[in-house]
Amino acid sequence: MTERIVWKSIASASKNRSDNADDKSLITELNEPHALLPFLQLQPATSLTRLYQSPSSCLSIFRLLDAVERQLTMNLLWLDSAISLSTMGAWVVQDKKKVYDDALDMLSRLHILNIHAGKLSLNTSFKTSLRHAITGGGTTGSFGVPAERDEKRPPMGIEGLDGYALERLFSTLWCHRELANIRKPSQGVLYLLQRSGLMSNHHGSLPQITSSGFQFLLHPPHAQLWDLLLQYLHMAEERQMDLVEVLTFFFMLSTMELGKEYLTENLSQTQKAMLDDLRDYGLIWQRRASSRRFSPTRLATTLTSSSPSLPTAVGAASSQQGFIVLETNYRVYAYTDNPLQTAVLNLFVSLKYRFPNLVVGSVTRDSVRRALNNGISAAQIISYLVTHAHPQMRKFNPLIPVTVQDQIRLWELEKDRLKSQEGYLYTAFASQADYEYVLEYAKQLDIVLWENNTKRCFFGSLDGHSNIRTFIERRTSGAAD
Amino acid sequence: MNSSHLSVVVDLAPAHWHRSSLHTPSILDLPSFISQLLAFLNAHIAARHENTLAVFGAFPGESVLLYSSSDPPADYPPSDANSFPPFKMVNSIIIRNILSHLESSTADEQAPSALVSALIKALCYINRLTIEFNASTSNAAEGLEPLALPDPRILILSVSPDQTASYIPVMNSIFSAQKLKVTIDACQLFGPETVFLQQAAHLTGGSYIYLERRDALLQYLTMAFLPSPAVRETISVPTQDKIDFRAACFCHKNIVDVGFNQVSYQDPAASQSGQAFTATDRLFCVEVTPLISSVNPPKNGWRSSGYTIAGLGSRRLAAFRSYRIH
Repeated sequence: MTERIVWKSIASASKNRSDNADDKSLITELNEPHALLPFLQLQPATSLTRLYQSPSSCLSIFRLLDAVERQLTMNLLWLDSAISLSTMGAWVVQDKKKVYDDALDMLSRLHILNIHAGKLSLNTSFKTSLRHAITGGGTTGSFGVPAERDEKRPPMGIEGLDGYALERLFSTLWCHRELANIRKPSQGVLYLLQRSGLMSNHHGSLPQITSSGFQFLLHPPHAQLWDLLLQYLHMAEERQMDLVEVLTFFFMLSTMELGKEYLTENLSQTQKAMLDDLRDYGLIWQRRASSRRFSPTRLATTLTSSSPSLPTAVGAASSQQGFIVLETNYRVYAYTDNPLQTAVLNLFVSLKYRFPNLVVGSVTRDSVRRALNNGISAAQIISYLVTHAHPQMRKFNPLIPVTVQDQIRLWELEKDRLKSQEGYLYTAFASQADYEYVLEYAKQLDIVLWENNTKRCFFGSLDGHSNIRTFIERRTSGAAD
Repeated sequence: MNSSHLSVVVDLAPAHWHRSSLHTPSILDLPSFISQLLAFLNAHIAARHENTLAVFGAFPGESVLLYSSSDPPADYPPSDANSFPPFKMVNSIIIRNILSHLESSTADEQAPSALVSALIKALCYINRLTIEFNASTSNAAEGLEPLALPDPRILILSVSPDQTASYIPVMNSIFSAQKLKVTIDACQLFGPETVFLQQAAHLTGGSYIYLERRDALLQYLTMAFLPSPAVRETISVPTQDKIDFRAACFCHKNIVDVGFNQVSYQDPAASQSGQAFTATDRLFCVEVTPLISSVNPPKNGWRSSGYTIAGLGSRRLAAFRSYRIH
C-alpha cells in the first residue's frame, strides 16, 4: 500500500537574506580588531606575562592595537604609580565614552592593563619591556642576533627575497588543480590548509578549494597570512609546542630588518623546529636547511604593519588596483599575468583566450554552477568581482552590471530550487472516509508534506511512517473485527 | 588612512639651553631633553610601521634637517639584538647630526634661533610629501583637487622667547599650514610664554602647552602631542583656555595692544553706502596715528565699523575685537 519514494519540493527563496548578511560582514570586518588579539585573549594570564617579557613581542602587540588603545598604553607607560580611573576618564570626550570603555576592556583582557580598586596601571613586565623596546638597552636579545656579514656567501638581496617569498606564498595559498605548473606545496602546507578548512580532499587525492577558502581569497593578503599563522598557532597547541615561544618568534621576525641575516644559535629548540615550517610558508629564507643563518622575508617583517605584505614589485600592483572588466554581455576581461588570479577566475569563469597580459572569458551558467557545486556562494563571486574590479569599472554605478549580478544570483537560486526529502506515499485508500480519517491523524502528527484529495493520496515524512502504519493496521484490523 | 606624519621643530639655541640648565628648582638640560625627545619620537614610529617622521633643528641663525624618514641615510648603524633597528637608526642619526652641527657651526651663538625658518622648512617638507602622495593616486591625473595627507602635524619645541621681527613669517606659515591642513602643536619649554606659538596652535587646531613641570617633559609630550588628530576626537588633549591674540605692528615690529589698520578715505558721497573706506591688512601702532587722523571725517560720522584693531588678516581672525573711534 505504501511505496518509498524521494519527494522533491520547491524550496523557499529565503536565500537572499543570508546573502545580504554576507555583504555586511565583509564591510564590518575592516574595523574589527586584529585577528591575533582574540586568540591572545584566550591565553592564560601567566603565559601572556611570559610573552610580555620580550620587548619585541610587546612592541609588536602594541602595533596590533587600535589607535585609542595605543594612546592609553602610552599615557600610562612612563608613570611609576597607578592612576585612578576617574583621572584617566576626565580626558575622554563625552560622546566617545564607548570607544574608551571598549579600549580599556580590550587592554585588560589582554592583561596589558590592570584595573584594581579603581586604579589603572600597566602590567609590570609589559611596562618594563615596552620601555626597553622604546629606549633600547636590556639584554633580552629579543630583536634577533644579527649575523656578521659573510663576504664569501653574501645574503640574498631584497629582490631575491621578495621573489622567493612570493613563490612560496603562492604555492602555499593556491594549491589548486589548475596550478599544476606551480611548485607543488609541501605536505606540511597541505595539512595546514586542510586543517583550516580552506581546502578539502573529498574529491579524490587532489585538494579542492572550499567555500571558506574562497572567502579567504577575498581578504587582503595581509589578513590571509595571519589567518594561516593563526591556524599554525592552533596546530602548535596540539603538537605540544610552547605557544609563548612560537609567538615570541613570530614577533621577533616582525621586528627584524629586511635583507639582513640572523643567527639561529640563540633560538630555543621549538623555534629551531619552526624554521622548517616558516621556510615552507615563505616567511624566512635559508641557504640550506641546515644553515646556521636565516633571513626574514618581507612577509615576516611586515607582519605587524598594514602595508601590503606581498612584494610590490611582482604582480601585486595589479591586485591592488583591480584588474577585472566585466561587461553586460557576461564577458570578462582580466588584465593579469598572475597564474594565481587566473586560477581563481577559472573557478567561476569559463576562460576562452589567454594573452601575455590578458585573460578573456565569460561567466556562463555552467561555470557558475561548477563554482556553486564547490561550495562557493553567489555573494562571494560578486564580492570577488567587486573587490578586484578594474579602475575603469569603478566609474559605473552599480559597479557590476545588474544583469550579470542578478543572473548569478538566479543561477544560485536555481540550484536550490529543489529540496529532497525522504518519505512514504500513502495511496489506494478504500474510501474517501478512510482517506480523510488517516489524513486527519497524519495532520495531527504534523507529518504531511503533500496531499491530493481527488487522487486520495498524501505524502508523509519518513519519521511519521511507523505511527501511520500502526494506525492503519489498527483501523483495518478493527474494521475486520 | 592609517599612517600619520609628524614633523618636529626643535629649538637648539645654546644660550637659552644653558639658561634652562641653570634654572632651578627643576633643571632641564639639553642631554636629558634629547633623550626624552628621542623616546617620544620612537613612540611615534612605534605606533605604526607606516608612520613618517621628520626632525628640523633650529640653531642660532640657521635651520637644519636633522632626520627624515623619506630619505634614509646610506650608512646604517650596525643593528644589535637588544634594539629595534628603526629606533636605533633615528636615535643615532639625530644625535650625530646635532653634534656635528654644533661643532662645525660658525654662527654667533647669541643670534636668535632660526625657529621660523625651521618651521617653514617643515611646511615645505609636508608640501613635498603631499605632492608625492598625490602623484601615487589617480587624483592628479584626473585633474581633481589634491588630496591632503592624512593627519600631518608639526610640533614646535621652543626655548626662545618671541622674536617680534618674525611675526609676519609666522603668520604666513600659519596660513600655509591651514591650507595644507597641518595641525601645529607647540610647547614652550623655558622662558616667557610666546604669543606667536599660542596663535599658531590655536589657528591650526593644535595644542599649546607651557611646560610647568619641567621634570615631566616626556609625560607632557606623550599625553598632549603623541595622539594624532583622529585620536584627539576620543581622548582630548590639553588646550590653552586663554590665548594672547596680540599682533606685532608693521612699522616697529613691536607687539601692540592697540593697533590701527591703514584706511584710505575716498569719497564723502560714497560713504553713504559704507563703501568709502578700503582697509588693508597692514597694522600700525599708535605712533603713526597722526597719519590717520589727518583724514577729515565726514559730517555724519563714520558709517563703517571704523578702524579695526586687528592683526594681519583681521577679517579672518574673528576673535579680534573691533574698535570704534569717535
